[in-house]
Amino acid sequence: MMLVPENVFRWLLVLVTGGVAAAWIVHDVVLIARLRGADRRDPLVADQRFGYVMGIVIAIIGIVGTLRFCGVL
Amino acid sequence: MTLEVPRAVAGAPRIVPRLNPANVVTASRFLTLPPLWWAIAHGHHQLATLFIVICGLLDKVDGLAARIFDCRSAFGELFDAITDGICYGFGLILVAAYGWAPVVPVGFVIGLGLANTALRFVYIRRAGRPVNYKSYAMERIVAYTGYLIGFATGGMEVTLFYWAFVPVMIVIVLHDAKRMLLDPLPAPPPGARSASIVASVVAGVAGAAR
Repeated sequence: MMLVPENVFRWLLVLVTGGVAAAWIVHDVVLIARLRGADRRDPLVADQRFGYVMGIVIAIIGIVGTLRFCGVL
Repeated sequence: MTLEVPRAVAGAPRIVPRLNPANVVTASRFLTLPPLWWAIAHGHHQLATLFIVICGLLDKVDGLAARIFDCRSAFGELFDAITDGICYGFGLILVAAYGWAPVVPVGFVIGLGLANTALRFVYIRRAGRPVNYKSYAMERIVAYTGYLIGFATGGMEVTLFYWAFVPVMIVIVLHDAKRMLLDPLPAPPPGARSASIVASVVAGVAGAAR
């Protein structure tokens, strides 16, 4: 059962993956930048920093996968 | 005869009923699983993707509902985490069982997810109260897990996304294991209950599912 034509479905996948991943990199980079100057020994700050770095790593994987899906890489 | 309902005492912990709009939205995510199964079993890639997208969006809506209706609770957070595990675990098993995703990384994902769940229960036992360890990294990898099912149903770079997930998940589980098992516990909020918490949480999940 097709809800939309196949090429539209592919572009939706690209948008939902690549678009969200790109926005997420910006989101987590901004959040990490806001932590500058915070106490690094504070466990909560360390958790946040680690979480944002992992978010950026995951978003980069999303961008790479999207580019491969589009035949760019 | 009328019953006098005591007014909230200033400073007393606020009691949030377990049957609240946010938890109802969380529980409604289970309704997407039977149609997801049907769509995968019948080879409907687009429909299957739609159902997992709805499941993922409801995960965002429950947090919104909790803020709008002011019904955030430790139980709600735990119920949300458990629902994530069940919905995404079920979805991953489905896509692997029907050959839409590689079995080995799916096994890793589910195994690490179960290990993380066990760690959370150990953390609750350590704390002696219903507390959810807020892992910023785990929040992000859970979103990735939802996407994994979508990548399988949509046929989007399945091998890359599934195998790239495994090392990231291992690093995050190791980090969270250290935080939950070894690091000092945060101080309890004023008025926090202490009891046989694991039993009460499990009973609470069962009660909410009824």
